[in-house]
Amino acid sequence: MLATRAFEPDFLRQLDGLMLGTRRTRSQRAGRRTIGRAQGGGIEPENFRAYTAGDDLRFLDWNALARHDQLTIRTFRADRQIEITVMVDASASMAIPGDDDKLGLALLLGAGLAYIGMSETDPVRLAAFAARRGGTHLATTPFRRRRESYVDFRPFVTGLECGGETRLTAAVGELLKERRTPGITIVLSDFLVSPGDYEDALGRLLAAHHEVKIVHVMGDRESTGDYPAGVYRVRDCETGELRDVSFGPRESAACQARAAAHSAALSAFCGRRGIMYATAFGASHLDEIMKREFPRLGVIA
Amino acid sequence: MGFLDPVKLLYALSLAALVAIYLRSRSRPTIEVSSLMLFEEVAAPIAKSRVLRLDLMFWLEAAALAALTLTLGGLYMRRGVPVSTAREHALIFDLGAGMGAVGESGQSRLAAAQQAADALVAAAPAGTHFSVIGYALEAATTRPSSARPDEVRAAIGALAPAAVATRPAALRAALLRARGAGAVTLYADRPPPAGLIGEAGLAAAVDFHQVGAPAANLAIVSIDPGVPHSTVGRAVVRNFSPRPEPCELVIEAGGREVFHSTLIVEPRAAIVVPFGPLMAGGLVHARIVTPDALAADNQRWALAPSIAQARALVLSPDAAARDDLARIVLAINPNYLVTAGDPAQPKTFNRAIHYDLAVLHDCSVEGIDAAARLLIFPEPHLLTSRLPQLLPVTGSVAVAEMQERAGAGTLGAPVLLGPARIVDLPGWMTATARGAGIGDHDSFALAANGRMADGAVGLIAFDVRNHLLLDPDRMDALVAVVDTLKQIVAPPGLRIVATGTLVSVPAFASARITAPDGATRVALPDQWGRVQLRPLEAGRYLIATAAGDVTVMANYFDAGESDLSAPADAAQTAAVPANPAVLNTLSVQPVAIPLIALALLALLIESIVLARRAARWGVSHV
Repeated sequence: MLATRAFEPDFLRQLDGLMLGTRRTRSQRAGRRTIGRAQGGGIEPENFRAYTAGDDLRFLDWNALARHDQLTIRTFRADRQIEITVMVDASASMAIPGDDDKLGLALLLGAGLAYIGMSETDPVRLAAFAARRGGTHLATTPFRRRRESYVDFRPFVTGLECGGETRLTAAVGELLKERRTPGITIVLSDFLVSPGDYEDALGRLLAAHHEVKIVHVMGDRESTGDYPAGVYRVRDCETGELRDVSFGPRESAACQARAAAHSAALSAFCGRRGIMYATAFGASHLDEIMKREFPRLGVIA
Repeated sequence: MGFLDPVKLLYALSLAALVAIYLRSRSRPTIEVSSLMLFEEVAAPIAKSRVLRLDLMFWLEAAALAALTLTLGGLYMRRGVPVSTAREHALIFDLGAGMGAVGESGQSRLAAAQQAADALVAAAPAGTHFSVIGYALEAATTRPSSARPDEVRAAIGALAPAAVATRPAALRAALLRARGAGAVTLYADRPPPAGLIGEAGLAAAVDFHQVGAPAANLAIVSIDPGVPHSTVGRAVVRNFSPRPEPCELVIEAGGREVFHSTLIVEPRAAIVVPFGPLMAGGLVHARIVTPDALAADNQRWALAPSIAQARALVLSPDAAARDDLARIVLAINPNYLVTAGDPAQPKTFNRAIHYDLAVLHDCSVEGIDAAARLLIFPEPHLLTSRLPQLLPVTGSVAVAEMQERAGAGTLGAPVLLGPARIVDLPGWMTATARGAGIGDHDSFALAANGRMADGAVGLIAFDVRNHLLLDPDRMDALVAVVDTLKQIVAPPGLRIVATGTLVSVPAFASARITAPDGATRVALPDQWGRVQLRPLEAGRYLIATAAGDVTVMANYFDAGESDLSAPADAAQTAAVPANPAVLNTLSVQPVAIPLIALALLALLIESIVLARRAARWGVSHV
């Protein structure tokens, strides 16, 4: 399985010098609503302000008091970190076509992004979503901060299996129910759902002040429409719906065009909403994806 | 109608298989895809909603299969191919003992058959090929196909009857050899078994000629010499004629006449003629002097036990088995002084004495000096054994069954025995009874005998405990033991066997064999130093070897073959139809061509359609 490469030294060595850029500043005014009650935990001075009752006297600027006889409080930049959640689609469609190993590719890229995210000791976790037995199941790992604990993701990555429908909106709802501090959410999926579904899901993430990045994963065969010629029946692996098709070169081109249109629509939506969008079409292009598409997600050297 | 044959009907099932494949293909292969969204632009097939799709491929394949099925099933117009136009003619002759019977005209049945065959050959059109096949114990092609009448007549004239009963298997083999012939003529003195000709699958009908008229015949069924000085001997004489027949019977022992009398034997009855007791042991010869149709069964030999006292040793760990074996040894020769002992208690017998016979049951006592040894249920080779085994035991079976025995052939019902040893029989031994383990298919020797330089050796591979030899339901086990004992205690220079039995005589160089009719031939020994002989004439054979002369007395009697009162008239002719299925097969080729051509055409069109579809889809295969 392709996902096991995520823990190979050669693969990790390529990621060692990379870091995940973010539009959101890492420092923010701590306790803004409770001025004087809490202080930033950092060591980098930020500003001075007048003392108010209740402020921690440890931050009183004694030199200023001695020189100006004014009670002045020193403030510092808070050492806040951004929680990164890498959501991987584990629905049944990620296992089809079997030769393409879409799930393996998504897990490899997701784990790689998690590894990159750990470069700033940000808390990172992996999550997988799929609707099974009538309910949406969102499986998450604990947050890990240091790269030394990256191997703790291994059981999750190697043990994940596909099944169920893609319920992106429901999965996002489940994620937001945790009511955690907004952070970076990276979604890796084939997005083979209706546009309304993914637009709603991504919109909810944005509304919750998450910085959203998505990786659109597709297999070689489905992105090129390379299905066998002949008359047969195709079955949707998630819904079970059947359709008779007579497949030939013309139909292959139609399939390819439909996949391209789907990708273009998703890309356009992401562009409009300020979501970083990258594609990962085919596991055979892994190196190209890492070189060309990772920067689109804000991965910088 | 070919499809009335269930086998042919199976061919028609191929059409049902095609329909099943068609229905299966209608269901269409299903490919699982990640989402139907990607196939929104792909058009559905035009015939999607039709219940019955007129699939050209299906109808082409159905037509091809139907044509082939009709061809195989035989539903085609037959073109009459007269069998008589065939140029190959097989002449099959029964060479059993009955064919040697002489009728009132002084001509034997075989001679009558030869005369009829000669006439047939003479009347045949020029260029007709004849083959001459004889059968008795087995089939032999005397003359392969030849168009020269003189050669064929010479081959027919060289045929001679054998003093053995005709085996149905031999007739079946002879018919198989005539399978390719366009005409088959069978000469025999009695009709062949029902259905045998049909089973042979001949292409032509068999023209059966029954030769010989009913004739009176007397036969010596058996002779028991009794025990000299003790019990009377008995000879059994049977009359196969529907009339009372006089029988002048002479019995000689040691070159001296001991019985000579003329008896009247009732129609189709047997009488027991007592004689003796004999005054000495040795060869006993009984013969019917009265001339009758068949001479081969008019004489018989037997060996009377010697009156000299002999020593026999019976060793067995089982007391009951010792007792049974000692009784059997005494029944064969009451002059034996039998010592019975337990091999675990060496004091019960004396090793220093020379024994004429040693019967060793489930033991291998070494160092016993005996002229003849019978090993019963020999124990396997033990690591503690000092000497190599005489008869290597390779395995054992828990329950064995006897399936065939010399003299009785294949037993009608296998005889259930107890445990038995599987012995790797050396080449100098001849198996006289065979069997297999229960549920096993590999047969092995249950009884055997042979001769080595230091004496005769017999083998009984099954265990004789629990009074097996006294069980009336398992009489064949007792007979096998008695026969083996008689074989190994018989004088080395004399064998009394039934005709057709394979006789092995130790000879380490070439041997000269003199037959009862005076003919001599030289035989070479096999790799075991044996000369093998299968006597086909009743009488005395002399095998002269460098080690000494061996006399083989061959007795003949077969109740079926000696009964010459066949109900049919002489020279009866009947045509026995051959297997009709074979006739169909032979005449299929010319008429089935249109059907085969139709099948080929249909397959060709199908290939074109497939190629066009492949081109349309842009693939290199379909």
